[in-house]
Amino acid sequence: AAKDIDNSVLREQLAFIFAEWIRVYQLPTSNDKDYGAFINSIQQQGVLKGEEISSLFFRVCTEMSVESYIKYKVTNTTAAYQGVDAFVKLIVTLVKHYSDPQGVNHSGAKVTYLTTLLSIIVLVLAQAHEQRRGQFNQKPFLRLFSGLLTEMMTSYESSPGMYFQILTAFSNTFHTLQPLVFPGFTYGWLSLISHRAFMPKLLLAENGKGWASFQKLLVCLFRFLIPFLVGGEMRDTTRALYKGTLRVLLVLLHDFPEFLCDYHFSFCDVIPHTCIQLRNLILSAFPRNMRLPDPFTPNLKVDLLAEIHQPPRVLSDYTSSLSVSMKSDVDTYLRTREHAAFLDNWQEILALDPNNQDLFSGGSKYNVPMINSLVLYVGVNGIAQLHASKSEDNGNSSSSSKDIGDANANRSSSSSSSQIAQTASMDIFQKLLTELDSEGRYLFLSAIANQLRYPNSHTHYFSRATQEKIKEQITRVLLERLIVNRPHPWGLLITFIELIKNPRYAFWDHAFTRIDPDIEKLFDSVSRSVKRSA
Amino acid sequence: VGFFAQQMLEASYQFMPEAVDTERPKNYAPKDPYPTPSYYPQAPMPGVFDSPAMFEKFDIDTLFFIFYYQQGTYQQYLAARELKKQSWRFHKKYLTWFQRHEEPKAITDDYEQGTYIYFDYEGAWCQRKKTDFRFEYKFLEDSELV
Repeated sequence: AAKDIDNSVLREQLAFIFAEWIRVYQLPTSNDKDYGAFINSIQQQGVLKGEEISSLFFRVCTEMSVESYIKYKVTNTTAAYQGVDAFVKLIVTLVKHYSDPQGVNHSGAKVTYLTTLLSIIVLVLAQAHEQRRGQFNQKPFLRLFSGLLTEMMTSYESSPGMYFQILTAFSNTFHTLQPLVFPGFTYGWLSLISHRAFMPKLLLAENGKGWASFQKLLVCLFRFLIPFLVGGEMRDTTRALYKGTLRVLLVLLHDFPEFLCDYHFSFCDVIPHTCIQLRNLILSAFPRNMRLPDPFTPNLKVDLLAEIHQPPRVLSDYTSSLSVSMKSDVDTYLRTREHAAFLDNWQEILALDPNNQDLFSGGSKYNVPMINSLVLYVGVNGIAQLHASKSEDNGNSSSSSKDIGDANANRSSSSSSSQIAQTASMDIFQKLLTELDSEGRYLFLSAIANQLRYPNSHTHYFSRATQEKIKEQITRVLLERLIVNRPHPWGLLITFIELIKNPRYAFWDHAFTRIDPDIEKLFDSVSRSVKRSA
Repeated sequence: VGFFAQQMLEASYQFMPEAVDTERPKNYAPKDPYPTPSYYPQAPMPGVFDSPAMFEKFDIDTLFFIFYYQQGTYQQYLAARELKKQSWRFHKKYLTWFQRHEEPKAITDDYEQGTYIYFDYEGAWCQRKKTDFRFEYKFLEDSELV
């Protein structure tokens, strides 16, 4: 009991110190010198000495600034934030004055210090979230993090090395605070990860070294969103969150299209199939230096585009969802093409393990990430094999292939439909088409359609692969991605136009195109618009 | 979706962030407080003194006033940027803005010389002409203002 009394006395003293700081902060005449003097004085009082007291002090500061917001918010928003804003200034000043006790690495010590402070704030947030439940107010915490982001940007942007460490510390903090863990902080969290002093700064760090951390945050967002989006009726909460997500993605598509390109696989893995436009936004991204030919150009010869020989950059680890045994089975088959039992058991292999609840399947009985991984892995190997076999042929006839240079290399790697049809990769795809039930086939075709993007070797390969077997479902997958509002991925348009224009596929002879008057009308209007543009 | 998640998402929705929540704190504290009638504005109007577009419309006198009397503020920066756009150049030694009155008589790597208009901020607060003035480039404020 004596300790509790001590503690409450101490708390009171610390609260008094913080109140004094707020007063200093609010004086219009105060400047950095006054702030420094204040820090010195509390240092002499021993407030910052020893971890126990200093953490209690920061805890008290956080609690007080949050409480003063709750108390005053009704009357005046700016005044209500004074406690929070003062605390931001205190943290910034403390970090500025902090130096490595060993005198070795001052900037590193400052970042560590900031990280400690951030974790104390997280702790207080977690407690408020737990205790206040439906009354939890995210705003003071949002203000606190937002203020820190802005202040850190103005203070440390000019020293990129340290600034990147600071951004990483924030990134880790936001990862801890993700909506799956703190749903009461969701909207504040979304504002923070898309904050002008965070998202663009992290993505602009040299050599894209901040991309992986930001990708993790976006995946967290999608993972949280999924269960809300797959269940039919949409609440206002979901709609607001979805709209916010769309806007963030639009900003990314406009400012950082390469980021969306390079990680499209990770995002498509977690975005449910019902979110067509969300996924189209990601799949429509293409490198900024690229000019896409208008897909409606008459007689467009995709085979002649130089870009279709370039593989796209894939930064996601797309093989991670394949089990070791499955990968080795596939590898063996691709090499030897000898009949393998696993080809006939796709339905079983790709089914979701009911014991593994960690997977976000979007209500499917299939392991969607595994299907996605399989399709891309087999496709990438298929492209490599085509390339290898062609080079071999050329190698025999001309030993001087180097002299002929690019033209030859291009021809050797071009994947035309007939070549693809005879490969081991295509066997696997054909088997998947015939062995899977309609849900599995739908997921499989969606995984293929996810690769129809800007002109590159994957787009080209999967575009050819799709057309090998025309089915109602192929049409459905393509069409449902085209009847939504823009943007539409380039490769998707190309594939669909090829499908309805090339007489080889006899598209209009299929019964399903005439099965329903509405569908028939839809097809007519699509084909009219394609013909008109052509 | 669990009940807890739904309930907490509602809580988050109830306190939806607004643009003002993530703006930099604007602590307006009048330097010389004076009781003004309540029908006068009690704080600067938002969007007037912090929008670059507005500074294009200001009179040159206003820009000079902001530059010399709002030191160390964003407003001073915006005023300086606008003055620079209107081809005024800042002299770091005299702390004075100059504008070419005519093409300089001489231009070297280190200076230019000729007739200039400058803004007399210490005396009569007006523009004056100075003939045969040598503007040494080492005193030219030439940092990028974006």
